[in-house]
Amino acid sequence: MDMKKIGLFAAGVLFGTAGIKVLSSKDAKKAYAQTTAAALRAKDSVMTTVTAVRESADDIYAEAQAINERRAQAEAEAVVEDTSGEAEESKAE
Amino acid sequence: MKCTILHDLPRRLRVHLCCGRMTLSQADVLEYYLLSVAGVKSVKVYDRTRDAVVVYDGARAGVIRALADFSFAKAEKLDLVPEHTSRALNRAFEDKLAVTVMCRCACKLFLPMPIASALAVIRSVKYIREGLCALWHRQLSVAVLDGTAVGVSILRGDYSTAGSVMFMLRLGEILEEWTHKKSVADLASAMSLGVDKVWLQAEDTEVLTDVNAIRPGDRIVIRTGGMIPLDGKVVEGEAMVNQSSLTGESMPVAKGPGSFVYAGTVAEEGQCVICVEKASGSGRYDRVVRMIEESEKLKSTAEDKAARMADRLVPYTLGGTVLTYLVTRNVTKMLSVLMVDFSCALKLAIPIAVLSAMRESTGHHISVKGGRFLEAVAKADTIVFDKTGTLTCATPTVAEVIPFGGQQEAEMLRLAACLEEHYPHSIANAVVEAARQRGLSHAEYHSQVQYVVAHGISSMVEEKKVIIGSAHFVFEDELCRIPEGEQDKFDAISPAYSHLYLCIDGVLAAVICIHDPLRREARDAVKTLHACGFANVVMMTGDNRRTAEAVARTVGVDAVYAEVLPEDKAAFIRAEKAKGHTVIMVGDGVNDSPALSEADAGIAISTGAAIAREIADITIASENLFELVILRRLSQALMGRIQDSYRFIVGFNLSLIVLGVAGILPPTVSALLHNGSTLGISLKNMTDLLDEGEASQT
Repeated sequence: MDMKKIGLFAAGVLFGTAGIKVLSSKDAKKAYAQTTAAALRAKDSVMTTVTAVRESADDIYAEAQAINERRAQAEAEAVVEDTSGEAEESKAE
Repeated sequence: MKCTILHDLPRRLRVHLCCGRMTLSQADVLEYYLLSVAGVKSVKVYDRTRDAVVVYDGARAGVIRALADFSFAKAEKLDLVPEHTSRALNRAFEDKLAVTVMCRCACKLFLPMPIASALAVIRSVKYIREGLCALWHRQLSVAVLDGTAVGVSILRGDYSTAGSVMFMLRLGEILEEWTHKKSVADLASAMSLGVDKVWLQAEDTEVLTDVNAIRPGDRIVIRTGGMIPLDGKVVEGEAMVNQSSLTGESMPVAKGPGSFVYAGTVAEEGQCVICVEKASGSGRYDRVVRMIEESEKLKSTAEDKAARMADRLVPYTLGGTVLTYLVTRNVTKMLSVLMVDFSCALKLAIPIAVLSAMRESTGHHISVKGGRFLEAVAKADTIVFDKTGTLTCATPTVAEVIPFGGQQEAEMLRLAACLEEHYPHSIANAVVEAARQRGLSHAEYHSQVQYVVAHGISSMVEEKKVIIGSAHFVFEDELCRIPEGEQDKFDAISPAYSHLYLCIDGVLAAVICIHDPLRREARDAVKTLHACGFANVVMMTGDNRRTAEAVARTVGVDAVYAEVLPEDKAAFIRAEKAKGHTVIMVGDGVNDSPALSEADAGIAISTGAAIAREIADITIASENLFELVILRRLSQALMGRIQDSYRFIVGFNLSLIVLGVAGILPPTVSALLHNGSTLGISLKNMTDLLDEGEASQT
């Protein structure tokens, strides 16, 4: 029991002196900067991926619209126009 | 530049630019370069992936050639990019959102429960404190709701719900700030595009020059009613300068040689030459931003009502929460009521609608200084026109000079111009212009004007008292008389013109006939204004009664007041307002200023005096009176949109609450739907109110 208390005390003293020193040392700051830089890079790469996905989605949407346009055109071309001269009142379009 | 085509459709192209990193400004350069290519309809540049999407109407080969020709250095020199783009702003907020979302995900995945809980407790302090703060000030506001929702979850030990709620609130805050900043930025960049012109002093003459071309050290001339466009120092002359746009102080300050004057202030009286110290730059944009922020303080009452409604709904929400708990004894259901509040939707969607309407009106060359003026325009039933410069053309001309008492015609015109050049009114300009055209220099006459009143000018020239002005001023106030035996000649003067009377030493010396033709569209515009719901179209003028009535009949106004003084115009507007009417005043000159500030919404035609523009709540830059109709339609559409948003927000969120209480929707889903709908309606409110057909139809 006593030994444990003494041990904890010693650990506390060690952390309060050497530990703080280590955590606020130049090298540690470099490590923090590296970690932060890595996090920012990760963010950027995520955002780039998101942008790429958005672009592809826009492509797909544009392509889908083009397909529908082509279909509508094809359907319009499939109709034989009435050139008889007998105008139908009800379907005057 | 070398590009690879990633996706190719008819009329749409997505390309990848083979360059290193692309900065935000480079992306802007590319975007505006491609937009300037013939046939290109829209361009989207993604700087992260260095891709560009081009939608075009013309030939594909042209777009390809433009892309091949492109280089950043070359395109930058073309100077196509406007001073301010919203790319950087969008990027900042995108990043903020992304970081918030990613942090949330990372915390959820990697952070051990105890630490996450501790973090949730720490972050909750802010919301709970704001809630308590509001309670302390005896306000049952939205902060109370947020604080309660977070606090209850923390107290129950439900840290993950507390975390979700705070996350949602944070997202909402970011989105709110983003949309708001973006609307302000859009509005400001649209408004700061207009270019001012100034009189540049070059050797012995004055040249009308673009403000952008003025360099430090140049000397510019400012006259009565003119706006000072740039910071500088007075080197000659004296002027009373109204600095209210800077200081809020409405009393003009005297500026003499050596004193500094600031951009955005107005010379109320006098004339001075200014040595420019700082060329035009970002000053204008910043000024516009400041003006918008200023005008946001003058929130439209509809916005105000939304904010008040939002806070007024809080007690009901809280009551509903308590009631739900008492009835169901179920904390989840109780929370689902708390999660949905109307307030943030109302507070966000309605100001956005107003800001977007202000931006749209700028597109029609109308600048509006605040939402409440749009509301006044929508509600107005009376519109008052000052005749000269609004119903009639902005540039009247001198038709005839009729000398009396044996005076010389040219001499009289010279004298009149000498007096009138001190007065910034379209009729005065006509006299000065006529003298200039006939090559009559009047500089040697130069005299100090004694006083300028509403209807005339009095001065001493060569020891003689000379006055010029309206019939009322000349014959009734100054008791001038017509020379013996010329009464018949006087009576025979054509009533088709407006008249200016010039007297020397109390005897009529000349009558100057001013031809002031009606605008071509005036009649139709007045008719359309009637159709738009203006019950009372009034015309006011300082002109003589006969001319005024002739014009009134042609245009078709409901009432006409002739020979009025500026104070009379203001008094009439005050009287109409007292009768419960909402009144709009349209004017352009210095003498309209009191009436413009008296009206619910004062509209200045921007060809007029700068002081009118500064005082007016709305400025129309176009020469076309139909802009008034567009303005009316726009403001009515805005009021409609505000009503619709209001009904939708209350209805939708009420049903969310009911579904939540019924247990059909869990709290997180209702929070998601609530925030989604808020975002949706905000986005919808950013769109244009008038479609192109409607706007061009007029």
